[in-house]
Amino acid sequence: MAAPLPQETTAPVVASIRDVGLAYWQQQAWSDVLHHVHLDVHAGEIVGLVGESGCGKSSLSLLMMGFRHPSAKVRSGEIWFDGSDLLAMPEADLARVRGNRIGFVPQNPTTALNPGMRVGAQIAEVLMVHGRVKTREAAMERIVELFGDVGLPEPRALARRYPHQLSGGQQQRVTIAMALACDPDLVVLDEPTTGLDVTTQEQIILLLKNLRARHGTAMLYVTHDLGVLSELADRISVMYAGHLVESAPTDVLFEYPRHPYTRGLIGSIPRLDGRRPREGRLTGYLDRREIPAGCPFQPRCPLADDRCAVEPQILGECAPGHAVACRNADSVTPLVLDDGGVRLARADSPTLLEVEDLSLRYGQMSLYQRLVPSALPPVVVRDVSFTIAEAEVVALVGESGSGKSTIARAISGLLTPIGGRIALRGKELEGGIGARSSDVVRRIQFIFQNPDASLNPRQSVGRSLARPIEVFFDSSHGAPRALVEKALDEVLLTADYAGRYPDQLSGGERQRIAIARALVAEPDLLLCDEVLSALDVSVQANVLDLLERLRRETSVAMLFISHDLAVVRRLADRVCVLYHGQVMELGPVDAVFEPPYHPYTLTLLMSLPGSPLRSGQPVARSEPEREPQAQGCAFAGRCPWQPDARCYTEPPPLHTTDRGVAIRCHLPLANLADLARPQAADPTHAMQTREAGTTP
Amino acid sequence: MAAGIAATPDALNRAGGLPARARRFWRSAPSAFRIGAIILTIHILLALLGWVWTPYDYVARVGIPLSGMSWEHLFGVDQNARDIFSRVLYGGHIVILLAVSGTLLGVLVGAAFGLTAGYLGGWFDEVVMRLFDAFNSIPFLVLALLASAVAGPVASGEPLLLVGVVALVYAPRVGRIARGAAQTVATQDYVMVARLRGERVRDIVRREILPNCSGPLLVEFALRAGYAPVLIGSLGFLGFGVRAPLPEWGRMIAENRNLIFTTPEALLAPGIALATLVVGLNLFTDGIARMIGRSTPHAGA
Amino acid sequence: MGGIVQILALCLKRMATAFLTLLLVSLIVFVAVEVIPGDAATRVAGRDATEETLQVLRERMHLDLPPAERYLTWLGGVLTGNFGDVLTSGRSVVEILAPRVTNTLIMSGIALAIYFPLVLIPAIVQAVRRDRAVDHTLSTITLVLLSIPDFVLATFLLLLFAVAIPIFPAMSNIDDRSTVSDIIHVSIMPAVTLAIVMAVYAVRMLREGLIDVLDADFVRMAKLKGLSQRRVLLRHALPNAVVPTLNVTALNLAYLIGGVVVVERVFSFPGFGSLIVDSLKLLDGPLIQATVLLAATVYIGANLAVDIMAIVLNPRLRKG
Repeated sequence: MAAPLPQETTAPVVASIRDVGLAYWQQQAWSDVLHHVHLDVHAGEIVGLVGESGCGKSSLSLLMMGFRHPSAKVRSGEIWFDGSDLLAMPEADLARVRGNRIGFVPQNPTTALNPGMRVGAQIAEVLMVHGRVKTREAAMERIVELFGDVGLPEPRALARRYPHQLSGGQQQRVTIAMALACDPDLVVLDEPTTGLDVTTQEQIILLLKNLRARHGTAMLYVTHDLGVLSELADRISVMYAGHLVESAPTDVLFEYPRHPYTRGLIGSIPRLDGRRPREGRLTGYLDRREIPAGCPFQPRCPLADDRCAVEPQILGECAPGHAVACRNADSVTPLVLDDGGVRLARADSPTLLEVEDLSLRYGQMSLYQRLVPSALPPVVVRDVSFTIAEAEVVALVGESGSGKSTIARAISGLLTPIGGRIALRGKELEGGIGARSSDVVRRIQFIFQNPDASLNPRQSVGRSLARPIEVFFDSSHGAPRALVEKALDEVLLTADYAGRYPDQLSGGERQRIAIARALVAEPDLLLCDEVLSALDVSVQANVLDLLERLRRETSVAMLFISHDLAVVRRLADRVCVLYHGQVMELGPVDAVFEPPYHPYTLTLLMSLPGSPLRSGQPVARSEPEREPQAQGCAFAGRCPWQPDARCYTEPPPLHTTDRGVAIRCHLPLANLADLARPQAADPTHAMQTREAGTTP
Repeated sequence: MAAGIAATPDALNRAGGLPARARRFWRSAPSAFRIGAIILTIHILLALLGWVWTPYDYVARVGIPLSGMSWEHLFGVDQNARDIFSRVLYGGHIVILLAVSGTLLGVLVGAAFGLTAGYLGGWFDEVVMRLFDAFNSIPFLVLALLASAVAGPVASGEPLLLVGVVALVYAPRVGRIARGAAQTVATQDYVMVARLRGERVRDIVRREILPNCSGPLLVEFALRAGYAPVLIGSLGFLGFGVRAPLPEWGRMIAENRNLIFTTPEALLAPGIALATLVVGLNLFTDGIARMIGRSTPHAGA
Repeated sequence: MGGIVQILALCLKRMATAFLTLLLVSLIVFVAVEVIPGDAATRVAGRDATEETLQVLRERMHLDLPPAERYLTWLGGVLTGNFGDVLTSGRSVVEILAPRVTNTLIMSGIALAIYFPLVLIPAIVQAVRRDRAVDHTLSTITLVLLSIPDFVLATFLLLLFAVAIPIFPAMSNIDDRSTVSDIIHVSIMPAVTLAIVMAVYAVRMLREGLIDVLDADFVRMAKLKGLSQRRVLLRHALPNAVVPTLNVTALNLAYLIGGVVVVERVFSFPGFGSLIVDSLKLLDGPLIQATVLLAATVYIGANLAVDIMAIVLNPRLRKG
């Protein structure tokens, strides 16, 4: 039984998780998911629980509601709330606590809301069941109040809508309103912003901070995203493989993490300035079959020794309010950053790919749709132009709906453009894959986002890698086996991987194989469609390293698609920012990350958690005031710096800065340069402004 | 639910040699699968036995008609003085062969069209689906009877016809499932990767789609094979089955229906044989489906 | 506004597909009858008929027309309600069909009435008390019953309730003069048989469908809001379980139409099912075409109804 966590604040404890262990019945055996977890939530504070996928944090968030899956068993521990143990409460009593004293905000609001019930009715239900209101009218008044709190416009009209009529961000606000309906003492949030755009996520975070300030609600925020917690949480607990490994106030955690895992995790987060820790990065991945009896992190830990594998580590205080479960906590040094990626100067390489005035509809057109124009799929990309030079990395950045993936599909031949042209080394490319020659097909390779779906589960790694060789090359090119081993080597995997099957590999390894498969065809251009987004943060860093290495050592060009600007900073040579199918800004990477900015680029930069650009800036509207016309600027209606109504109807003119950045905006360049000022450095931003590890 | 890599059922755990893997497989299989497998094995063994040897020849007149159970005639003797036990024993391999080969043929044809239709979509899919729908709209027994009648008096009663009829009834039903499974697989990125290599349709269906639909197809096969004896039995019961004097269990039940008061064991023997075979097949199917990851499979009509 | 138009469009599309399928069935059935070996006229008139008689017969049966024209003529007749004449007796098909269809309808009605409670109650109990003792017990019972071929079950029930305990007649002795209550009396045993077989198939599918709904995210969310078990079930789970139930029922209808064939035989019930068997035994073309087409129509119609209801009930098509 570990010592309870040190009391940091004098506020009363709202909920206390004590020594909780949980196991699931899987494949005819019990497997432990949570081990001896301790966590306290004080009144008015936001506690963050961070961990990568599969660490058990979601299970813990549900346990907090007294809820467990039918095939789960609580091995040990209690959860104290208001004098009772939630884990031992009968269902009837639990029903009185849930939704009433403890609120829950789910990960996926779209599936969590009953599709057949109006959203207002779903909130009214909670109010009535817990006796907060007696009449429908009283319920509606409370709903209006709640919707005002969470920033939903036109509450009476919105309450009558069905969930599918709301956007993702609006749905999540509704679930937050629902969780707050009965003025709970505690709100548990399970990854509430996963799956939302970064600008929407930003707004939800602001909302939560606001709510805490106004109502003093305590929150337990469970997530895999440390960046979000750096903005939001007062204290953070780090979880690894079901064990709590470190717990500290947010500032302290970022400044001087004491557990090797926490340190590695913080170091893996991509920074806006492109700098990286010199050492201490996370290697390997969590293999559930190889967890030692002692510390679960031992296989991956740079400081571990044989004792660590055998002795379970217990949370103990290393500084006031700071607990860590590591024998070697004192040997953990702070992170030291490097100078940022080496920028390779590629002077005037010839153009490899040219995209000119490309316009695309989302999806292929069926016969029916050709006859009935109003049923056509919407135009998602409009007059987009950019080039990629040989061996250059161009990043396409945008949120969902920006059209970036659609462009990649058009380049690869999966989608036929409705306007414009795509040319490879000057020769125009045919629309469909079937019309292209095998050689052309070989030269452009596609890597997909989801590592779980990109490898055929029934084929061994070796077969999957050998197939492109069979298809594209004849026997004179070399023995397939040797080529497969060479490809594995290039992605830093040993030759014995060839005999393995995808279900034996981790997400990061699968993604490497996907990259190797693309490289084996010896392409000129790699289309990387959000290849990092489905990976855990620590694995992302490794794969990003790999891509950087490939860029240095081979001469393959890349079109790197991402919604994450920080990731792009280090890898790309040039950046193209897209919004709703139009190019907003295009230029060399360093120049794009500095003023003058296009308003949308600035909005994106501001939305990154911990961004130094945030404070004192107006926020972009979540919904456009008016829909811009097709030839107007796509960002009109949402742009907080919008000069006038021209933006809706007239195409914005092109400005080019002296550093070669192209920006389309009705505002003159001089104004755009001023947009980013004033920016007061906010001392509460633990991440981006302060160099972690340097003594102040 | 706890997520993570090892959450996938690892019945294909590849470490160790064949006997070790087989033992591990057996131990981790659900009980339904094991019981079903045991029952099936018994049936198959008895069928093999019956094929090569029976106590009495299945058409020979060996005793007093309608005499009851005795040590020489375990289940008595039917109205044509034939030993019922021998007939049931001999009928085992007939039913199993007909059921399995008919189902196999149906599954092969149905899967071939269904998988391709599911992958291609478009007009091919529409046409194939309409055809499947049309055949599925005719109740299976009616379709089977129709096909038997259409084949004419010459072919009627031939085992091969029965195989064809079973295949005809099952192909569109299996095809529907295959199409659904193929549609799910076709959206996966690795299929897109193959398309982006410019591979031909038949290669993609063979290498990417088929192996990843093997689960549902296997369940379909087991399910249909489980019902096939009933289908064949029903046909026999209605007089459209295998020609006399071949001892097909369904027809035996029909023939001996009137003996229900005098010699019930004449009915009992083929009835129990048929019922246990179907129970075994259903349990087996249930077990397979559970191992693949779905809960209960459902038989359509 | 958009919602209603969308719903209508989807329904129309579905109806068009159903009609097309039915057309295909008519073609298949026509071709099947065409392909029957032997000369149809000879089959009807007998082997000793004179050539003249055969000629007249062939004309009457439109055998002198090319197949395509014959098909269209027949199809035209069908659309106006004329299915032709029974070859052997000369009476109109409709005349023969009507009483048989009525009998089977009454019997099926009783079967469905017994079937619904028989399937709903165990399925709901199993879904709500998943993986517990009662679930396993019911699953085992279902599995065993499922494995008994319907004709075996029917024969067994016949033995039990017509012979051992003579409540019901062993043979259904109804004819043109029987009253509705006579028909009902005679229908009960076959109806019970059919209900049991259908219910046993359906319980397993319905259980799975209900479990899917109970596992849905929004049902979990309802529990996390503190709603009582009963409210979660009634207000959130069950309304969304209607569509899976309908689908299961549609599948069962398909079985019903086929199942009557065997069951009617066991109980010697003069219904639609035994008519199909008789028509095939006699190789009577017009009768075969009419009965098979009718069977298919019922199946397609039932599925169409279920699909349309699913479209109408789909919450994503609603506008608040």
